[in-house]
Parts: sequence; structure tokens; C-alpha cells
Amino acid sequence: MPLRNRIAYAFLAPYLLIFATFWLWPIINSFLISFQNTRVNPWRFSLTVNWGRLVADPAFYNALYNTLIILVIQVPVMIALATVMAVLLNSPLLKARPLYRFAFFAPVVVGEVAYAAVFRLMFSIDFGIINKLIGSVGLPPVSWFDNGTAAMALVIIAVTWRWAGYNAIIILAGLQSIPGDVYEAATLDRVGKVQQFFHITLPLLKPIILFCVVLSVIGTMQLFTEPFLITNRGGPGGATETLGLLLYRQGFTSLNFGYASAIAYTIAALAVAISLLNLFIGREAK
Amino acid sequence: MKSKSRTLMMQRLALHAALTPLAIIWLFPLWMMFVFSTMPDYGIFSPDIVLWPSTNFVENFKNLQADTNFLRAMFISITVAVIYTVLSVMLTSMAGWALARYRFAGRSMVIAIILGTITLPFAVVVIPQFIMVAREFKLANTWVALIVPPLFNSLGVLFMRQSFSMMPTELFDAARVEGVKEWRIFLHIALPLARPTMAALSIILFLASWNNYLWPLLINSRPGMMTAPVALGTLIGLTKVSWGGIMAGAVLLTAPILFVFIFLQRHFISGIAAGAIK
Amino acid sequence: MGAKFLGVAVSLALLGSGPAAAQSTDITIWSWNVAASALKSTLEGFNKKYPDIKVTVEDLGNSQVFDKALAACAAGGDGLPDIVTIENFEAEVFWNRFPDCFADLTELGYTPEMQALFPEFKRTELEVDGVAYAMPWDSGPVAVFYRRDFYEKAGVDPSTIKTWDDFLAAGKKVMEANPGTVMAQADFNGDSEWFRMIANEQGCGYFSTDGQSITINQPACVATLEKLKEMKDAGIITAAIWDQKIQANTAGKAASQMYGGWYEGTVRSGSPDLAGKWGVYPMPSLTADGPRAANLGGSSLAISEASENKEAAWKFVEYALTTNEGQVTMLKSFGLVPSLLSAVQDPFVKEPQPYWGGQAVWSDILATLPKIVPARGTAFQADAESIYRAAQTKYFANDYPDAKAALDDAAKQIETATGLPIAE
Repeated sequence: MPLRNRIAYAFLAPYLLIFATFWLWPIINSFLISFQNTRVNPWRFSLTVNWGRLVADPAFYNALYNTLIILVIQVPVMIALATVMAVLLNSPLLKARPLYRFAFFAPVVVGEVAYAAVFRLMFSIDFGIINKLIGSVGLPPVSWFDNGTAAMALVIIAVTWRWAGYNAIIILAGLQSIPGDVYEAATLDRVGKVQQFFHITLPLLKPIILFCVVLSVIGTMQLFTEPFLITNRGGPGGATETLGLLLYRQGFTSLNFGYASAIAYTIAALAVAISLLNLFIGREAK
Repeated sequence: MKSKSRTLMMQRLALHAALTPLAIIWLFPLWMMFVFSTMPDYGIFSPDIVLWPSTNFVENFKNLQADTNFLRAMFISITVAVIYTVLSVMLTSMAGWALARYRFAGRSMVIAIILGTITLPFAVVVIPQFIMVAREFKLANTWVALIVPPLFNSLGVLFMRQSFSMMPTELFDAARVEGVKEWRIFLHIALPLARPTMAALSIILFLASWNNYLWPLLINSRPGMMTAPVALGTLIGLTKVSWGGIMAGAVLLTAPILFVFIFLQRHFISGIAAGAIK
Repeated sequence: MGAKFLGVAVSLALLGSGPAAAQSTDITIWSWNVAASALKSTLEGFNKKYPDIKVTVEDLGNSQVFDKALAACAAGGDGLPDIVTIENFEAEVFWNRFPDCFADLTELGYTPEMQALFPEFKRTELEVDGVAYAMPWDSGPVAVFYRRDFYEKAGVDPSTIKTWDDFLAAGKKVMEANPGTVMAQADFNGDSEWFRMIANEQGCGYFSTDGQSITINQPACVATLEKLKEMKDAGIITAAIWDQKIQANTAGKAASQMYGGWYEGTVRSGSPDLAGKWGVYPMPSLTADGPRAANLGGSSLAISEASENKEAAWKFVEYALTTNEGQVTMLKSFGLVPSLLSAVQDPFVKEPQPYWGGQAVWSDILATLPKIVPARGTAFQADAESIYRAAQTKYFANDYPDAKAALDDAAKQIETATGLPIAE
């Protein structure tokens, strides 16, 4: 018995070592730091300096609000789009399937910085191709970076472009695991394609879609690169500042590690809570 | 019969009519990245609508190289991604093997840890991780700092564990009866069988490392140790920067991976489908 | 040219730096944009004097230098270059949070005589209890940079623009006469430069000059924000980030830009084809006889404590900043306005500038220097800045009843974030 333990832990050791060093201890440490006033030398313990500020800080509520807006709008839109993509890609009627698959999946491999740079150029106010196209049909140009709502829309568009294909891959894999005879029976019973989708496909896909939602929620809770690089560090005036960006700003621009740790814990707690809520709802509805 | 084939035709037409515009919209940013990378700056900032590539790529790349040492950054990125991938695949397959094949004390706790950390965002550890690596270990601007902390990857372990669990037990039992040592069983029997899974995982891990931005941005402040995404990110927002150059860099970051993607699509897709990264 | 520098050479000899090091030493500097280019322009002269010190200037962009230097200080100084460019109003967070990150320049040869070469207001943020963390470099006396041809076409004489109301009226004329242009651009998205410039002109800032209280909701600041919205709503100022402004300058879409004097170099090197078409005039005021001088930007150089070549780094800082030769080279090449008092007297300042249509822009810009009221950044600059920006955005979107309410809210938030009291 002890030998088996020894062997198992020998295989696990490197992994657990990394976990303990780079996750477990930082998670504990983060909690401790969140009770330190880190803006004095040396740091001083204080129960309320960071958590007290957090509950009263409009910047925190702004970031929370922005993050939740993205969560509520972007995640459902993207998942719906991904489901449509996956279902259409899975159709036996489709010609040139590899080409379509490439179109939707390619953004998955594009780095955040590369695509942020392209989106910045494409949506530039005076010279961006998007505004030129909008102008060519006679509409007024959109101030993508200077109007809070437009900037938020831009972030949502960018994130959706980048991640819809990723979710479509996961959903497509789920679709392909649904046995074909389920549909054959339905077709024989003259159930329409749309009906089949809503009554057979969606219920069977539910666990997979929930998995996608959970991944997207975690991703959105710490969304950082897009508002950092595309909309100029959460601009205009914090209109696209997410919790991830606020964490960066407090941690590495204001250099207030204590407050940043309190924000980090809030992000983690929300991510876990929303994920559990999703799973719970998914189970209830069954 | 004829009406049936007609409805099929109509369905096929509708399907393509729906998918084609979507596919064009989806490819558009990538196409524009390529077009911008071949245009001089005055072309990018001209009032005309240009959708077709020009001939300025080499010039743009030279500007990029002058703005930041992009070749060195690419070299660092490639090296880091390769080492990271090898180490990470080793680590996750060893852990996956242990979880799949041994019933040991504390096993359920290890599994709980792995499942628990999947829902934890990186944000929660970034501050203390930075403090520890940079200040306590004095590892800022080193290769170790780029490679080691991101090695922790729960989904990779689950992915490998699943692969090992699906192998027939008799295979390993037979070897054990003959007195083959456990680590040899792992190395010589199990790993070769898990090759397809490892390939999928490798691609995904390589991609994750190649595109990683936040951690390298924080930990490597010295320009000589910047990875390619960080070097490129630095240029966004500079005054006298060549946007054509930035786009050339974006293409250089994207094209190799896209190329690999075309040929190894199957592995990519199976890796992502298992949810190995986010 | 050579004769002009004779006096400089003599004063250099008097300052008496040690003999050049025998072995070749490499030092690295972090800087941004024209500041980086300006530093590079001094290297030729520097290497004549010190051929064995090889200087590398790395242009990382303004916010990146700040972020990376802070991160490096947080890491115990590891990863810092030998010399860092630090913008004055953002400087205090470094000394406040990391008193050991940068070297005390007084220990490297920064004598009281040398300190006296710089104006007092440039040094207050850089020195704490007798420790000099950085040496003043340039300052940013504000001016309006304008397109002569656009103004002329509209029949606007810039010398008649005395108040912001004049500016607004002139803007309407200029935009009417030059379709497709805008009177001026402000970075309402990623910066707060217009507010800081006009507020500073009116003697107001985020914090009091002693850095002990919050003054952002004082009447002068409120009046500034009101006027800014009026001009924005009239459409004569549109939002544009830094690189968009440069694109607009080059494309002939902006009739004027307001910035610190260092913008001279950006206009000149960014749009070389427009030589002769640009001019400069002093910033307008809120009232007809109100103050018309303000400062925006201005930086300093600090030497990292972790540097292994502090001596060599000091030699460069000394050459670039305390000699007329170094400072005037940077003024000429990239328009960086010297803080060094003697450099302001350099004959070059009085010369008409061909790019600027023969206007002696430097004597015009520098004339405002003595009237500038210092604005204190404090260690809480980053917090105050982002709070102000958010309030500005909301106020422009009419989410506050008036400017007073917007700045009262900002003041309250800064109080929460910093713990400093709001001034009565």
C-alpha cells in the first residue's frame, strides 16, 4: 500500500510542486495581502483599508458593471452564434466544409496582441476601414474609441470574433457525438429540421453548452487584453474598464498590491459563484 | 422524388447563403491584417478603401525591426514555447497517469484540487505570483520566470488522465507480472499509446504559450527579454511607430500558427474540444 | 555653429567631470517618443567627450516606461535600465513607494551649485529630505500650435485670440473656411491634457501645491471643465488620441493643437512636408486679462540604484542635462524645452525658425516660463487621474447636472482612494 502511494506521488510530485508554489501559496498570500495597507513603507496590517475601499469605490462598481454587461450581452450572443456555426458546419449538405471551418476556427489561433492591433486600425475613427464602409452607405462615422457605448460594443465585437469559433469547436464535437439514428427516427416522424434542433439537438447539447458558458464566464471575469490594447486602457474615461483591467491598474500602475488583491479575490469569488450558478440552473432545468 | 431533391437543393442553398457572409465577416480581420502589413503607412491612413495587398511588406518589416528588435523577440517566444510545451506535456502526462492508474491515499483530494482550480481565474494569483517570482526569487527577466509559473495546467491533466484511463488495464498488468518497473511501463507502454492525445495537447500548449501576454508583460520588463506579443504590444500607442510594421509583426505572429493549424486541424480541434485551454 | 558652443565648452571644462573611463561601458536608458529621439541626438556630442561609454536609448512609449519602471521597482530594482525617464507629475509615487529604487544623485556628484542651475519648482517633486532622486530635464510651457494657412483662409488673426470664447468663435470660422478640418483635438479618451493645461493656467490642479489636500473641485477647475464642455459641444474640439492627432496633423485635418512646448518637435518631425505652414501663439485664457501660461509634461532623469554603471550613467545625465550643449541640442533637434536656466538664454532661442514660417517660436514659448504656477502630481497621481477621466467622460455625456457636481464627485472619490482631505 505505501509503495503504491509512493509511486503515485512520485508521478504527481512535479505537478503538485508547481501547484503548491505558484498557485496554492499565492492564493493564500493574496488573501493575506488584501489585509495589508501596501501604500506605506513597510506594509501595515489593516482589516478595512482595502475591503472598506472596495465596497465604497465607484471605480470598482464601474468595472463590475462593465464586466457584467459584457457577461450578459457578449456571452449569450457568442454562444448562440457558436451553436449556429457548429450546427451549420455539421450539416451533411455543406460543400467546401474545410474552407468554412477554417474561416470560423482561424481566429482561435490569433494572438490577442495581433488581433487587438488589427481591430484598432480597422475601427480607427478617421481612417478605419469600418467607418469608411459605414460612410460608403451614407451613414455617419462611429467614434469607436471616444463614445463609451461604441467602445463597449467594439470590445464585445472583438471578443466575439476571437472566441465564437473556439466555442463552436467544442459544440461541434458535442454534436458529432449525438447518434444519427435519433434524427432518422425524427425525420421519419416528419419532424421539421428546426423542430429537431430545438427538441433534440439543444437538450442533448446542454451539458456542452453549459461547459462553454462556464469557460466564457471565467474568461470574461478576467478580461484584460482587449480593453487594455484596443480601447486604450479601458477608455474612454473608464467606459470599458473591466475588473481585470482595474486589477492591473491598481496592481501595476497605482502599485497598490493590497487593494489589487482584494479585487482579485472578488473576481475569483464571482467567477466561481457564477459558474456554480450556471451548473445549478443547468441541473434544475433537466 | 423530384420535389424532394428540390427541397434539398433549396436547403443547401439556404445553408450556404447563411454561412458564406458569416465566413467572410469572420475572415475579414485576418485578411485586413495581411493587407495592412503590405501597405505603407500613408496607404493605411488614406481616405480610400483598400482591400487588396500592396508590395510594402519587406519595408514594413524593416521598420518593425528598427522600432523593436522583433527577430530577437520571436526567437525568445519560440524557445519559450518549445521548452514550455515539452515540460508541460511531461508534467501533465505524469500527473494524468498517476490519477488514471493508481488508487492512492489522497487521490480524491488531488482531483478536487484540479477540478477546483479550473474555475479559478489567473487573476487571483497574478499579484502574489509576481511578488514572489520577481521580488523573492529574484527571477524577473529570466527564462525560468517565463516558462515555469504557467506550467500549472489542470485541464491538461484531465485530458491526459482520460487518455490513460481508456487504455486496457491488461496491457499494464501483463508487464507488471513480468516485473517491469512502473516508470518503464509509463515511459515505454503508456506514453507511446497516448501519442495522439499528447500531440493534440502539445499544439494547444504551444499556442497558449506563444500567445501568452499578461504574465510575460509583467515579469519581463527588460526590452531584451520581451516575447514577441509583448514587444508588439509595446509599439501600440507610440508616436512615430510604423503601423505597417506592427501589422507585419502581427502577420509574423499569426502566419506560422495558422499554417500549422491548416495541416494539423484535427489535433487542434480535438485539443480544444477537450477544453484544454482558455 | 562651432563658435556658438565655445562658451559651453568652457563651462563644461569648469564643471570638471572626471577623465573618461578606460574600459568601454554600456548604459541603457528608457524613454519615449521625441524625448527618446532627443536623448539620441545628444550622443554624438557625448561620445566626443566620453568615447568609451556606449549609450543605448530604448523608446518604450510613455505609459510603458512608467508601468515597467514601477514593476521593476516592485521587483526590487531588477530589470531596470541604468537611467529611466520619469515624468515629473508622476514621479512622486516612485520615491514614496520605493525609496531605495533610485540612486541619490547627490552622492554621485550632484552638488548644491549644480542644483541651483535649475528652477525651484522643477525640483520640488524630485527631492525628498535632501535626497535627490532625479535631475530636472525639460518643462512644458503650453502653447497653441496652429496652421497659418487654415487661419488665414478664414481671416482669423491669432493675436486677437485672447480668451477661450475668442478661440471658440475663431474655431467656427476656421472650420467653415476649411471644410473637413477641426479647430483642435483633445485626448478625451486616454488623457486629461486639456483640463490639466487650462486648470493649471487658472491656478488649479488635482492637489494643492503642498500635496496635502484635494483641490480638483475648486472654482477655477470647475470653470475650466465647463468651458471645455462648451467647446466640445460646439464641435470645435474633437476627441483624438495621441497617434490620431499626429495622423490628423499630417493629413491636414487639424487646424490647431495645444500641448507643452515639446510638441514642437513632434509637429516638425511628424509632418516635415508642412514646413512654413505651422505657427505658434500663446494659449488663451478664461478672462480677457487672465493668465496665459501653463505647464504640461516635463520630465527628469533618474539613475537606478541597481545599475552597475552608476558613474557612467551619471556622466551622461550630467552632460545631457547640466550643460547648455546637451540641452540646446535637444531643443534644436526635437524641441525639448530646457529646464536649465542658462540654456534658456542661449542665442538659439532668439533665432527665427524656418519650419515655423520664420517665427522665433522659442522666445515666444519660453516667455511664458516665469509665469507658470507649479502643479503638484503627488504619489496619488495615477488614482486621481483615472478618477478625473471617468468623471469627465460622464460629465460630457450629461450624466452630471453641472461641472461642479462632476468635480465634487471626483473629489470625493479621490478622497476615498487616497485618504487626503478635500480643501475647503
